[in-house]
Amino acid sequence: MNDSQIGSALREKIIFIIVIGLFAVLSFQLFKMQILDEPAYEVKSNENSVKKSIIDAPRGVFFDRNFKVIVSNKPSYTIEITPSEYNTELNPLLEKIFKLDKGYIQEVLYEKRRFSKYQPRRIKRDADIQSIAWLEENNGKFPGVKYIVEMQRDYSFGINGSHIFGYTKEISAEQLSLANDVYDIGDYIGSSGIEKTYEVYLRGRNGAQFVLVDSKQRTIGNYLEGTHNTKPIKGFDLILSIDAEAQKAAEEAFNGLKGALVAIEPSTGEVLAFVSAPDFNLSDFTSVTSQDIWTNLRIDEDKPLFNRATMSINPPGSTHKMLSALAALQEGIITTSDYINCSGGYQFGNRFFKCTHVHGKVNVITAIEKSCNTFFYQLILKTGFDKWAEYSSKFGFGSKTGIDISEESPGIQPNSEYYNRVYGQGKWTKGYIVSLGIGQGELSTTPVQLAKYVSLIANNGKTRTPHIVKGFIKSGTNEFTPIEYPEIEVKIDQENFDIVKEGMFKVVQGEGTARNIRIPGLNIAGKTGTAQNPHGKDHAQFIGFAPFENPRIAIAVMVENVGFGSTYAAPIAQKVIKAYLRINGNAAINQNIAAKELKENL
Amino acid sequence: MKINYDIKDKFDFIMFAAVLALFTFGLVAIYSATVTHPTAYGNFQKQLFFGGFGLVIFFFIYFLPSQLIRLSAVPMYVLSIFFLIAVLAVGKVISGSKSWFSIGPFGFQPSEFAKIGLILFLAYWLSDSKRDINSVKDIVLSLAIGLLPIFLIILEPDTGTAIVLFFITLVMIFWAGISLFGLFVVLSPGIVTFSSLFGTASLIITLIFVIIALVIFKRNLFTSATIFVVNLAASFFFDYGVRFLQPHQQKRISSFLDPNADPLGSGYNALQAKVAIGSGGIIGKGFLQGNQTQLKFIPEQWTDFIYCVVGEEFGFVGSIFILVMFLIIFLRLLRLTSHTKDTFSSLIVIGVLTLLLVHFGINIGMNVGLTPVIGLPLPFLSYGGSSLLANLVLMGIVFNIYRGKKHYQ
Repeated sequence: MNDSQIGSALREKIIFIIVIGLFAVLSFQLFKMQILDEPAYEVKSNENSVKKSIIDAPRGVFFDRNFKVIVSNKPSYTIEITPSEYNTELNPLLEKIFKLDKGYIQEVLYEKRRFSKYQPRRIKRDADIQSIAWLEENNGKFPGVKYIVEMQRDYSFGINGSHIFGYTKEISAEQLSLANDVYDIGDYIGSSGIEKTYEVYLRGRNGAQFVLVDSKQRTIGNYLEGTHNTKPIKGFDLILSIDAEAQKAAEEAFNGLKGALVAIEPSTGEVLAFVSAPDFNLSDFTSVTSQDIWTNLRIDEDKPLFNRATMSINPPGSTHKMLSALAALQEGIITTSDYINCSGGYQFGNRFFKCTHVHGKVNVITAIEKSCNTFFYQLILKTGFDKWAEYSSKFGFGSKTGIDISEESPGIQPNSEYYNRVYGQGKWTKGYIVSLGIGQGELSTTPVQLAKYVSLIANNGKTRTPHIVKGFIKSGTNEFTPIEYPEIEVKIDQENFDIVKEGMFKVVQGEGTARNIRIPGLNIAGKTGTAQNPHGKDHAQFIGFAPFENPRIAIAVMVENVGFGSTYAAPIAQKVIKAYLRINGNAAINQNIAAKELKENL
Repeated sequence: MKINYDIKDKFDFIMFAAVLALFTFGLVAIYSATVTHPTAYGNFQKQLFFGGFGLVIFFFIYFLPSQLIRLSAVPMYVLSIFFLIAVLAVGKVISGSKSWFSIGPFGFQPSEFAKIGLILFLAYWLSDSKRDINSVKDIVLSLAIGLLPIFLIILEPDTGTAIVLFFITLVMIFWAGISLFGLFVVLSPGIVTFSSLFGTASLIITLIFVIIALVIFKRNLFTSATIFVVNLAASFFFDYGVRFLQPHQQKRISSFLDPNADPLGSGYNALQAKVAIGSGGIIGKGFLQGNQTQLKFIPEQWTDFIYCVVGEEFGFVGSIFILVMFLIIFLRLLRLTSHTKDTFSSLIVIGVLTLLLVHFGINIGMNVGLTPVIGLPLPFLSYGGSSLLANLVLMGIVFNIYRGKKHYQ
């Protein structure tokens, strides 16, 4: 056979020798390692192992605008058992100390019997400090039993704020694989609210400890005298613009109701109070969130997890009338000396659009004061659909406000382009837009959009993006670093703002629809509204600001399925305004009487 | 013509049993390494799924008409070059290498595909009767066929796979009948550069051996001088090239040379793997009872370090069992080479044998501390869909060749 032929016998022999040679070398190495040198490796395996343990960094703390702590951290103790060292005869004693059901430890150990015996099993979360002290004292008597300290959120400061703060969750496998070095297994990560938005500031940096452990996980000492160890660095503290008093008042006022409230300082865009009701209990989320709690929250018909303040969209109703007025005034279409006669409604084509009652002779100011629909039905037609929509968009309707809570709806701002898309070119008539003039129809807004809108009116066209976090304090320093938010400006003449604001002033202080919330010594301006709800009772709305002369708080309130705005929504706004401006004592007039009086008038 | 009804003559049950045994043992080890792992606990099911899927493909290929395999050689090579270029353009970076495509929830590694393409095409090209493997032109061309995908894979960079492809090219050329002198010319620059890694002294000694070999071959002075200069240049070029390696690769080379230098870095894995295997003893610590494995001292143990799970939990007995299963596969493959119906098939079988042998040698070598830590999975055992599928496709081709082999005389 020619040796240069493909696959000659010689070449086959050479490969055979290589295969056998490799096999022999590897076998010999295994024999040497596993049989001859086994004792040495055994010692190494049992002693000289470097183990890295993670020390969790505490998350940043939340302060309110007056530097009062509103969310903090507290230590929580978890008891673990490592089966390889543990003696089950201790079961009854431990169950007694840690207040566990009889036989519970056996059950846990049995359930996880297929896991490695070196893997610690958690038997108790949130153990009390006395039992930890006891365990510490009797350290040597309980081999395989130890406790670990974890930091938990502490919400015991009188504010629930579930939709502001949001919750943290244990990091998922996917999140972990995306974020290479920053997180460790078992870390908590912001999952909603500002915990999510400001995760980067809040999380801090975990510390690490390298220790020498034996095969039974007993610590022998620090690896290289601890030179590789790093200390955890606490996350940045956040200074919120929330006012604890106003927030507390707002949460109490919504007790038993569904709806939302957003209060803003008009000149800065700082959110003073923020409620979505019903809410949920954040402390349920701190340690293990049992599946039951989750399921219950998810299937609850009142949707407590749904952030109504930024996500629920409803027609703004009469609260939108100031916008129609501002658009017409600024475009020079009307002045205060233009009057119309309200005879209880408006005939357009073959359709009759109703007013709340017969108002007689009204101008723009009285139309706002008395909430006359007839006036505004006509006004949108005079202004023109797209001109009106342009002004409405300038005030932020139809787009997200950019508030620092990630879940937000843009709402709907109709214009002719939108109608062409929905109904088809030329398939809609002017009749479709008449009810938009009083804030009904397709126009849909969120409570936070309404709060931004009323801030713009209160502060004469200037504010900043609504925000909950004013700034942060870097860990280890006491320096406050403010966060800058973009300015928002709507160019409208001061005299036109003054006209609209006079109308709003009269809604509360004059003959208007919210007289029931007057407070002696304080001038409040506002506007009630009713969002038509095809699925049930209408939603009550109120927007307003105070003090009238120098607005410090602008507010939007929405209460679901209760009907008229002044009965429910306006009094809630009043309570929050009082709390924020620190006005003590009872309101001068009885709200119930005022509401009755008002209904009779209508 | 008589039809052979003997199924044993159409299907190599012994080799198949060895492959299945390795895959099963791999599953057991993956389970042990991942069952309590917080992020990798699903890998057992995934591997089982890929194994089942791979076996379907294996049988599909087994039953294909054998002409189809020859027909697919050129398109497979062209396609694999295309994928290798594409992955450099749009691939996903995982632990410092750009070697993955994401297709929905799964990842796909074109370098695995390239192994199949290279073996098929090189076998097709070398088996052509027009070739003279001892002509300079054909040596250069066949080297070029191998170096093109190797170059693209080095760019990813995936050193391990590049080494595998290099050996495949070399052994297939050797199998095709290259003369001893030709082999020396091809091989010596590689050996010289490798020895240069260990310092100037070892480089000089190797160069002296090159001179001795040149004297023995007794070629003319010009040829000999050229070969020597090429050797010298290769080692300098390599030394220069190391500086362009990724930091994690430079670290791997240095940690091979001194694994104790940085016990928390890349040498850490090698050290811990040795401790795991060594402490396994004769019969091992038992399933799920290896403290090195269960305490997760070795990161990503279910991929390149799966062998030390076997070593720790099943001891010398389990470790040798794996070696014997591989030995059976290698010897069956080698025996098949002399019974194939044509040289094309014989070259494919030797290509597959080389691939498995290099993976086997480097992977187990690094687990027992004989070779540097090069990212190469252990065939049929390590966790990884792309690699398992590629290996089962290759086994499908080999079994297809077995089905069409000549009868034993």
